[in-house]
Amino acid sequence: MRSTTKNTLLKVVILGDGGVGKSCLMNRFVSNQFDEHSFHTIGVEFLNKDIEIDGETYTLQIWDTAGQERFKTLRTPFYRGSDICILTYAVDDKTSFKNLDMWRKEFANYADVKENNQVPFIVVGNKSDVPTEEREVSPLEMETWCNDNGITSCIETSAKSASNVQEAFKMAVQHWLKLESRADKSETVINDTVDLSKKQTENRTSCCIGSSDDK
Amino acid sequence: MYPSMRSIELFRSVSVDDFDSCAACLLKRSNAMRRKGRRVVAGQRVLLRDEKDRLSAPLKGKNGNTSLIPYRRILKNLRRLQMKEQQKKIKDSVGVKLLKKKKRTSWFLKVKDIYSRSDERIQQVDGGFFEKFGSLFREHAEMAKTKEQEEKREVAEKAAEITPKEGDEEDNDETTLPVIAESEAEDSAASASDSDSETEKDKGDLIAAAFNIDELYTEILYIIIHNVGCNVEVSQNALFSYAQDAFRIPNDKHRKLMEEAESKADPELMINVEVIEAKELRSKDSNGLSDPFVTLYLASNSSHRYNTSVKSMTLNPIWEEHFALPITDKSIDDSLCLEVWDFDPAETVKEKLGKIFDVKGVKGMRKLVKEIAVTATTGQHVNELIGRANIPLNTIPASGMTMWYSLDKKNKVTRQGIVKVRVSFSSGKNNQVAQQEHRHMRRIILLHELELSKVAPHWWCGNFTYQGQQLLDQHIAQSGLTQTEVELCAYSVYAGVHQNHPLSFTLFSKSLEKLVKPLQTETICEEEVKLFWEATKKLLPSCFSIIRKIRKKGTTEKAVMKQVIEVLKILNYIGILEPRNIELFPSNLYPWVTFHGDGPNCDILGTLSDAVSQGANDWLNHLIENNRKPDESELARLQNLIQLIQLVRSDLQKAIEFYDKLFIDLVKFQYAKCLYIFYQAKIATLCEPEVREICKSLKKLHYIGYSYTSAPTNSDPEEDPLSEGTSLFEVYLAVQRFVTLGQGLCPADYDTFHIKNFHQWFHGGVAQWLDIAVYKALIRIEKAVELDQLVHVDTNLKYSSSAVDALTIFYQVKTFWQQLNWPDVEGCYTFIAKIIDDICRCCVFYADKMAARVDGMGDSQDVYEKKFEVTNEWCLAINNIDYVRETLEPFTRDLGMEDVLKKLADIKSPVEADRCRNTLNNVISNAIDTVRNKIIELLEIVANKMGPSMKRLLIEGAELGSQGCNTIDRLMMYVDTNLSTLHRELNDENFNRILEIVWDLLSEILNEIIQTNLEKRRPPPFFAKLRETLNLMLGSFKNPDDCSNCDALRRTEQILKINGLETADLIHQAYIEMANIFDKSKETPYGEISFRCRFQGDSLQIEVINARNLFAMDSNGASDSFVRIHLFPEHKFIGVDKPKTKTHNKTLFPLYDETFTIDLNPEQASIEDGLILFSVKDKDMLGYNNQYIGEAFLKFKDIPRTESSLSSLPQVKKWLCRPTTTETNVLKALETRQGDKQAKDFLRKYKQRMGS
Repeated sequence: MRSTTKNTLLKVVILGDGGVGKSCLMNRFVSNQFDEHSFHTIGVEFLNKDIEIDGETYTLQIWDTAGQERFKTLRTPFYRGSDICILTYAVDDKTSFKNLDMWRKEFANYADVKENNQVPFIVVGNKSDVPTEEREVSPLEMETWCNDNGITSCIETSAKSASNVQEAFKMAVQHWLKLESRADKSETVINDTVDLSKKQTENRTSCCIGSSDDK
Repeated sequence: MYPSMRSIELFRSVSVDDFDSCAACLLKRSNAMRRKGRRVVAGQRVLLRDEKDRLSAPLKGKNGNTSLIPYRRILKNLRRLQMKEQQKKIKDSVGVKLLKKKKRTSWFLKVKDIYSRSDERIQQVDGGFFEKFGSLFREHAEMAKTKEQEEKREVAEKAAEITPKEGDEEDNDETTLPVIAESEAEDSAASASDSDSETEKDKGDLIAAAFNIDELYTEILYIIIHNVGCNVEVSQNALFSYAQDAFRIPNDKHRKLMEEAESKADPELMINVEVIEAKELRSKDSNGLSDPFVTLYLASNSSHRYNTSVKSMTLNPIWEEHFALPITDKSIDDSLCLEVWDFDPAETVKEKLGKIFDVKGVKGMRKLVKEIAVTATTGQHVNELIGRANIPLNTIPASGMTMWYSLDKKNKVTRQGIVKVRVSFSSGKNNQVAQQEHRHMRRIILLHELELSKVAPHWWCGNFTYQGQQLLDQHIAQSGLTQTEVELCAYSVYAGVHQNHPLSFTLFSKSLEKLVKPLQTETICEEEVKLFWEATKKLLPSCFSIIRKIRKKGTTEKAVMKQVIEVLKILNYIGILEPRNIELFPSNLYPWVTFHGDGPNCDILGTLSDAVSQGANDWLNHLIENNRKPDESELARLQNLIQLIQLVRSDLQKAIEFYDKLFIDLVKFQYAKCLYIFYQAKIATLCEPEVREICKSLKKLHYIGYSYTSAPTNSDPEEDPLSEGTSLFEVYLAVQRFVTLGQGLCPADYDTFHIKNFHQWFHGGVAQWLDIAVYKALIRIEKAVELDQLVHVDTNLKYSSSAVDALTIFYQVKTFWQQLNWPDVEGCYTFIAKIIDDICRCCVFYADKMAARVDGMGDSQDVYEKKFEVTNEWCLAINNIDYVRETLEPFTRDLGMEDVLKKLADIKSPVEADRCRNTLNNVISNAIDTVRNKIIELLEIVANKMGPSMKRLLIEGAELGSQGCNTIDRLMMYVDTNLSTLHRELNDENFNRILEIVWDLLSEILNEIIQTNLEKRRPPPFFAKLRETLNLMLGSFKNPDDCSNCDALRRTEQILKINGLETADLIHQAYIEMANIFDKSKETPYGEISFRCRFQGDSLQIEVINARNLFAMDSNGASDSFVRIHLFPEHKFIGVDKPKTKTHNKTLFPLYDETFTIDLNPEQASIEDGLILFSVKDKDMLGYNNQYIGEAFLKFKDIPRTESSLSSLPQVKKWLCRPTTTETNVLKALETRQGDKQAKDFLRKYKQRMGS
């Protein structure tokens, strides 16, 4: 009846062009399954998954979105209050990589992230299992793009071969932790009466009240 | 063009001020005149003029009416006041209705009092945001209605001011009110511009008429002189004077022309007779019937007879035959004779005999016999007279008449039957000339009378003054014009006049009714047909103008309806005539007609459709023009759109309610549908670009940080994304309703309408609306919490008003969703997911607010301490949140989730629908979990608040020892009160939860107390007291089953128990612990010992048998071992022997074989936790320092109490052990007793044994 340990809830949104494997990535992560012929996502999909990092358990509320343009108005309402945004492309699809910029902007626009806050983006290049000759985006390109856009976390994954999928989500959480602790610090500097023990419970147990720094 | 117009206006402007005194008299009099057909004296004209002068006098000299103005103002103000009051009443009643509705829809009637009270105030937060949508349209409709009523009232007011009282106009079949001068002026101006070219022609006509006006006048004088028929009531002089007036002939000229007329030869007159039918004729033949025919002749000339055809075997013959009898004798004494005869055909006797089978009755037989007799005897046949009618010519009016006459027969009293004839006079004049004359005459008389009577436009419907009618009738009679000819003349004259002075449409529809048949049967010559169509072309523009201006303000609905009906009748008749190859709708007159066919346009329905669309278009453009302001904000533009759509809808509503049936019945034209098709295209073109653009540029709503800040101030509503989004939503609703209307109206064409996919225009707005809904909900929730009095809404319900409010707010969001009624299924699914997520956000927000609301409640502080009591408020807060949580799931089901999923399965696939279902379920359970966590959080807060008090009371209880039983009572009372509050208020689930939390907390507190007090080295009684308290509490509040689950508490109790023991007891506990540990150990390196024991009475018999595999203690690989026996607890065996065996040197397998008997007192023998310790040692050479090998325990309770000899008992084998741990609670407790020598000694020895 009663949850003995209180997990930190994190809202994760997966964005990227249609067909880069967002849903596969999520399904691999959540249920360790892979369906080569999965359908297009209709609007959004939602799954929960617990992940343990450094002894702490985090509950990821993963919103998988539809990449097709016609779903734009259907997915954008879900950006608000996200803690982590996973920008996804396929390494065998240059266009999807080029569109990352568009996705980044779309997210920033609809998630209502305040100017001075860093958006917790991580970049994931999916389908790393494709043969080298079919590859259109190299890891170097990815890193360069991330550097140019001030994104520090990026990783190549394969939902098909399950490589790096857990790592990618772990990385996302760690990235969030990093940003969070930085935010905490800056907050402590400004306001030294902040009750740190209270902080965790008050802002991180809700599924939808915005990010923690909205105080 | 006509002075009449001006004077009408003049008349009106005067009548506004001084209506009662003059105008009414004037009108009454003229109406009375017309009705009664009283003889008009010549002086009448003068009188009328005088009155007119009198009327215009006050206008000239303004002083006359100044006193009236203030009075009128007062009157107006009064009316306005009344109106306002009425509006207020309407508004009030609307308000009441809304309230009622809200109450009706509320699902918790029990709590409606509190609900409605606080809810109303919650609405005030955002000005009734959600309520607005529900009642939006009603409100607007009411508004529109009120507005309309207002306008109507104004109109009615104006009308009342200028309209003559209608009471005296009973025989005037026009019951419509005259219309307002301004609007009609505009109207006629419009029709004038419509018929510019016509006007030119008209002028020409007039001039042409003027050329032979003298001739015409002479003709009229001539007609008056040679009056025919019976209508001689009006004197010749009156008619002369009337004609002179109408033709505006100066007196001298009149005299001259009069002479001319008198000198003219008498007219050649004819009497026209139409024998129409006869009825109920007497039978003259044997078969009970007759074969009637009619013979007619003038009495003065009886030899000149005319016969109709014979209608065989009927008593109700229809002839419809025409005859013209020349009147030779000019005296009016002459009369027309009608004789009805039964025709007797030339039959032979044989033929007549053949009829015997047709004979009806005795009478018939007699007749037949008579006939046969006559034929047989004379060989002749004789026609038999049925009856005769005599019509004196002086009873026939000049206008002619149709009458039934009864037939008489000499010497017969019985009725012979009746015959219907139409009789009229005519002349042998050239028909064409006569028609032309008649047209001119009619026109002049009509214009004259219009001027004279000042009749309002669209008002005159064919009633001339008596004189005018007399003149026309005489002319018709004397010129020998047929009815159809006259009707045609009238029609064309009226149509011509109508262009400049609109006449009543009833006039035309009636005229057409009479003309349709003749025109269809083509009994009319080509020239006349042409004339008819010319006239029709003049008439039609005004008809279509009525259709186009159907929405014109300022006329009563009834008047408009009446006009429309007549116009439609006209169109129907013209449609019946099937115009072909006639350019009925020239494009210069009908620029709005969209005719694309070849040849001349005579498509009436097509033009009607265009007129309807055009009318709607004009109206709409007018609205748009009037509402357009430069530099409009988007918000204002949206508001305009909403208003526009609503006006269009109400227009359609009106069309459906009033006009549609008329159009369908009269001309088979689907008016409402035509209108709808036009409107839908128009609205689509108006709205789509606007909406799409606004959707693109919607400003983001910032409320992410709302949770702990107050609502943003909407300083600038124009810039406010809230009101913009709201307005956009209103537009959506308006269009939605409009589209729904269309679905019903044109189900067949609906799919082709562009407006069908209207929701796509709004695509970008939906997210914004959802955001707004959440934002509004959050604000409302905050307000609801603020207003919550934290009392039960009802004695049966364990939550307070804000929970009810919160739920209401959720249902308002649901209503919003239902109103959105989004047609796209994929959209529906995601939006539902979003709404659930949002509602969860609201729940959590509510929980936070609720927690903040009760924070600090129950806290109190006096000089000594901080206190906390669990209050009802806290419980309510928890219950509220729980209540809201419980309703989450039903709420989400209510959103229509299953429906959407079903549809998804249909259009996509069941697999995909299942995935969507999973997502939704995940979102829901997530939301529920989140809120549940929130509740637990609150419960913990409550429990934690109880912590300090419990801790303080516990410590006090322990400190004060036995004197402090009060304190324990206080603690008990504290916990008892609080827990019972919780138990009473919370539901079982939450109570059990909090109980668990409290007990966890309690053991935590206890542990803490123990720890700190151990560090403080509190004496054992302290802990003993603590333990006593704990046990008391355990006993009173927890049932043992629950407690057994509670490990932490049991451990705590253990610690308390240990620390509460005296040192000797504690040491004994240490031994018991050791015994327990040793008993579990196997295969030690120290060896094994065998013995037997028994109690015999109170004496203990111990036989130490041997040891095996002893640990080698000496350098020679062997040991010199002996066994010493101790009894524990040591302090209870003081003075008792501690026997030992002999030492067995250099062996690891010593055989001791010694038996000891230790005598104990009964008390000692019955110590339950007594122990025997077998300590095996290595004998030191010097005997001072015996080395410890190992030991074994035997518990008293394991020793058999038996009389049988030791040797019969089984050997007991135990491994020898050494203590290994100091980490037990007992040893730890001993260690804390550092000042205690006993404890110190024990520990020292214990550690020695460990170390050796």
